[in-house]
Amino acid sequence: MRSVLSRRRFLTGCVGLGAGLLTGCSRWPLSDPAEPRVVVVGGGFAGATVAKYLKILDGGIRVTLVEAQSRYTTCPASNWLFAGMGDMERLSVDYQALRSRYGVEVVADTATALDLSRKRVQLQSGGAQAYDRLVLAPGIDFRWDVIAGYDAAAAERFPHAWKAGPQTLTLLRQVQAMPAGGVVLIAVPADPYRCPPGPYERASMMAFWLKQHKPRAKILILDAKRSFSKQALFEAGWAKHYGYGTPNSLIEWHSLADNPLLELHADSKILASEFGDRFTGDVLNIIPPQTAGSIARRSGLADAGGWCPVRPATAQSTFDEFVHVIGDAANYAPIPKSAFAANSEAKACAFAVVSLLREQPLAEAHWLNTCYSLVTPEHGISVAGVYKPDTGNTINSVSGAGGVSVGNNAEAERAEAEYAQIVYRNLVADSFA
Amino acid sequence: MRRLRGIVCALALFPVPAVRGDLSAQAIAMNCLNCHASGQAAVSRLPELGRISTAELEQALLAFKYDRRNATLMPRLAKAYSDAELAAVAAYLGRH
Repeated sequence: MRSVLSRRRFLTGCVGLGAGLLTGCSRWPLSDPAEPRVVVVGGGFAGATVAKYLKILDGGIRVTLVEAQSRYTTCPASNWLFAGMGDMERLSVDYQALRSRYGVEVVADTATALDLSRKRVQLQSGGAQAYDRLVLAPGIDFRWDVIAGYDAAAAERFPHAWKAGPQTLTLLRQVQAMPAGGVVLIAVPADPYRCPPGPYERASMMAFWLKQHKPRAKILILDAKRSFSKQALFEAGWAKHYGYGTPNSLIEWHSLADNPLLELHADSKILASEFGDRFTGDVLNIIPPQTAGSIARRSGLADAGGWCPVRPATAQSTFDEFVHVIGDAANYAPIPKSAFAANSEAKACAFAVVSLLREQPLAEAHWLNTCYSLVTPEHGISVAGVYKPDTGNTINSVSGAGGVSVGNNAEAERAEAEYAQIVYRNLVADSFA
Repeated sequence: MRRLRGIVCALALFPVPAVRGDLSAQAIAMNCLNCHASGQAAVSRLPELGRISTAELEQALLAFKYDRRNATLMPRLAKAYSDAELAAVAAYLGRH
């Protein structure tokens, strides 16, 4: 395996550069006795990207990806299903390219525990994976202790659909089956949570479908926040397409920042708030507050807030220098929890891991985030940010750069809708293929 | 397309760039690939970086930064970098 991989790397590297740099290739060891081991836990955007880029940056590192599922369903683009765009099959990717093209060992198993002192990952099958460095990318888990009556079982009936998969289809069917004048409630948690603009894009996509099929329906967004990502752009788009601000609007947004939702009465489909307000709908899409994936919390790598603190420049956990945490589970604030950001964090992490293993100087980390959302299939909006590490342990959003879409005209809206779809496909390919 | 795969592969051939600037350019350039390159991408409206020369890349990046050229996203991103960083990224991408 080792020699096959090295030979492949040797060949592809030389093809890419031409014969003039053959001597450069000879620096690449064909078989390295000191083959450092990196184990990656979690095969979402962060985990897949870091596994791939570790092998690209240093083919001499043995990279093992531990992921229980044989396929991954992307959260990005899953909202588009509510507008009738695409299908579940097109959101699904596998790990074949990581294995065959880059030489990542993919182990279909679940990490049940981390033995940090012995640097081993315990697996459900009974085996274990030893590592020199561990990259943890477990994504999110849901908090079931915030809204009484809303737990994993209740979520099957009132889907959050905040991990794309069967619940996405459940929610889709519920919206399609509701009465003509039906109401969809979307409950949105406080920050931080996965995909800050996601709930509002979801409302937009549902409204697009409802406008054609059930124009008397209504979507009520009940928000634990006072404001939200790309708010001005979403509201302008909703006004343009869905009557936002008029009595007949397909979408209403209500901030419950001072009056949080505390209880679900499943039998009567009622969400009750602290001050006793009662909200009901035909479809309840309750997106609960979130934390880092449970393996991170059980291993003592999350703080009291439920997320994993890291030294941003290297992604090293502040609790264990041999563990790196990336993606939604890690606290990279002010970088939002997005697939795009996870991809960027993974690349910076791969750089740092290689440098640390090979005792080379560290590159300055550079992170980028771009989040596209669709208001309609032909009206896209975006927010972008460029981030650099501060001198301390903090991350700076580079001032004067980033921000939301400018030039609100139909041409730009159409272009950004197209870019949203192109960038989604490229991001998936850059992470998994 | 082969050229784009080349960029990804070539990233690997410089595990120890001679100067810190190169390392930094590589770190920035890897983020360009999120949108602009992949081994699998189909027909795309986005420019393929692998087909553009260093001089053209540098000119475009600076034009985005100083609002001499319109685009939906790139002017917002290019403003985050110094002229020297943009030149280094252009040189890096143009070379690979």
